[in-house]
Amino acid sequence: MSILERISNLDRRIIFLTVAIAVIVPLFLPLRLPIEVTPPVQQLYDVIDSMPARSVVLISIDYDPSGAPELQPATLSIMRHCFAKDLRVLVLGLWAPGVPLGVSALEEVAVGEFGKEYGVDFVNFGYKPGGAVTLVNLGRDVHDVCRQDHNGTPVDSLSMMDDVRAANDIGLVISMSMGIPGSDQWIWYYHARYRGNLATAQTAIGAPKYYQYLQSGQLVGLIGGMKGAAEYERLVGRRGLATVGMDSQSISHLLIIGFVLLGNIIYWLEKRKK
Amino acid sequence: MLMTSGPWVWIAGLLTLAIYSFLYKDNPFYKVAEYIFVGLSAGYWAVFLWWNYAYPNLFVPLGEGNYWNIIPIVLGFMMFTQLSKRTSWLVRFPLTFVLGVSLGLQVIAAVEGDMVPQLQGTFSPFAKGALFNTYNFWTSIGLIVLLVGVLSTLTYFFFSREHKGVLGVTSKIGVYFLMVAFGASFGYTIMARISLLFGRLHFLLSDWMHILR
Amino acid sequence: MRLQVPLAIILIMGLFTIVTSFIPARPIADLNQTFRNWYIGIITFFIFLGTINLVRVNGEKIKTKASDWQYSIILITALAVMLIAGFYKGRASTDEESVFMYLYFNVQFPLEATMYSLLAFFVTSASFRAFRARNKEALCLLLAAVVIMLGRVPVGTAIWKGFPEVTEWIMSYPNAAAKRGIRLGIDLGLISMALRMILGIERSYMQ
Repeated sequence: MSILERISNLDRRIIFLTVAIAVIVPLFLPLRLPIEVTPPVQQLYDVIDSMPARSVVLISIDYDPSGAPELQPATLSIMRHCFAKDLRVLVLGLWAPGVPLGVSALEEVAVGEFGKEYGVDFVNFGYKPGGAVTLVNLGRDVHDVCRQDHNGTPVDSLSMMDDVRAANDIGLVISMSMGIPGSDQWIWYYHARYRGNLATAQTAIGAPKYYQYLQSGQLVGLIGGMKGAAEYERLVGRRGLATVGMDSQSISHLLIIGFVLLGNIIYWLEKRKK
Repeated sequence: MLMTSGPWVWIAGLLTLAIYSFLYKDNPFYKVAEYIFVGLSAGYWAVFLWWNYAYPNLFVPLGEGNYWNIIPIVLGFMMFTQLSKRTSWLVRFPLTFVLGVSLGLQVIAAVEGDMVPQLQGTFSPFAKGALFNTYNFWTSIGLIVLLVGVLSTLTYFFFSREHKGVLGVTSKIGVYFLMVAFGASFGYTIMARISLLFGRLHFLLSDWMHILR
Repeated sequence: MRLQVPLAIILIMGLFTIVTSFIPARPIADLNQTFRNWYIGIITFFIFLGTINLVRVNGEKIKTKASDWQYSIILITALAVMLIAGFYKGRASTDEESVFMYLYFNVQFPLEATMYSLLAFFVTSASFRAFRARNKEALCLLLAAVVIMLGRVPVGTAIWKGFPEVTEWIMSYPNAAAKRGIRLGIDLGLISMALRMILGIERSYMQ
């Protein structure tokens, strides 16, 4: 067997091993390469930064554990920014498996870091089924869709909700999304009817699709994947898991580009031989 | 998160390894983990739907005298008629209600949420006139590229005429735009997949093994 | 009764939803809101139906001792454990420090996250074996992918400072153009399919 054939028939488990090594090694030998902030992330930061104190930001947790490595760091950073600016935060989830992640983020940031008070500074509505249809109703009457919060407390009894009744009372919606229902539904069903500011944080797979909505002005910001989350971490000045992960991303990306080029070199050499 | 120490973190660690054992080859450890996952997820959804919607929005109001809620509850229970061949036709009533509402909303959303703003975004920069005076050079070039790209991609998907002549050239340009977009999606997909792997390996090395700080 | 009434329901509900979307007056808008609430109520039962179906299919597998039936016992046990954990203390069953949440964070979370992370390995293997520049179009795809991969990681910036800007431009214009073209096509398809179903021309969903 020639060297070319040997390389092209490389056992897939060896490839698997190289990927694991490419991710693990930078965890022990960090490169700490600088992270550039891109315009879509900066735009979202600027929108939140310019909101008057006590404005309401709705964060929709539209992801599950498989989206957490990319979206949870973004959720934490956005919450940090909101509470640092004394904004009020509403959390709900269009994906049931994401709700505990929202609870955990609020516990860590709102309660743990900022000492904010539940029902006054933030409220968690929990999971809301119905996707698009729920969003149409939500914009018209928040209290109708969210009768009880995540813990079963009647929403009418929470003082923060006295002046939050409909879409007009919400200054910014951010959909942390990894699929359907998610940002698509927020854009088509909620923003199209009620306008206002809408932004999204996406897993990297979904992000390319949302540049068109950024260009058309339907979105005021876009955080794409772990890189976007790392950019937001840089903007709020707090190194988190996304920033740590960028070194692993760098090395793995180089490895995969290497594999693509190697595969093509072998392909061209074999083609020339034939 | 509630992943701290003790037996729970060991369960999480061992289950993670059970899934990764699939990389060597399919085996019973992976299968056990897979079936546990499906069972737990199904239970999780049922519990959350009950406590977050069915109970507070359907049954509590019914108990408080909102008898209109009987309608969705009855239609909802009609979904279960699907379980028997004899009664399965009854499922058409809730199904057509649900489809009617969602399709109606979908028609409106596709027009006012997508088509109109997207077409506006494509053409409006040109309506303002003096493209190069309004935007910087690369943005202006980009907006022209955007317009050409949208029209040529649409042409590629236009199958009512044979792609010859002008139509052929335009659709060929459309193919290149599609390739760039697929390339972009591929690049981003790599980042997404590596992020997930990073998340799990970080968990194994820090929360479970405590090698990483 | 079996055909005409369901067809009438989809026609009435579909047209009512479309037409009344343009009428913000209260009684009509309130009625719309009520219909949408009913919709959400009904689809809740879809999930419950799914759970029952899962038990039925796996119960059947155990009864007939079909291949891998032992795993079905594990599935039903896991489902039962989650249901018991989620209901035994009423609403408090899903509190932060509950067994339910421990099961979520330490069993469901790692299983789901790990399962999807397997794709990192497969996508790398596929990149090596299948991502070939066989023609000009494929070469274009490959070049775009490489530039964007380098433009989205810090090491790309270390190689050439211009990568992030070039990437941002590609994402904002050529990429957005193609995605927009695809989306507009999908929209037209969605609208025509929705109207066909509302008008009763398309009925295959009733089979």
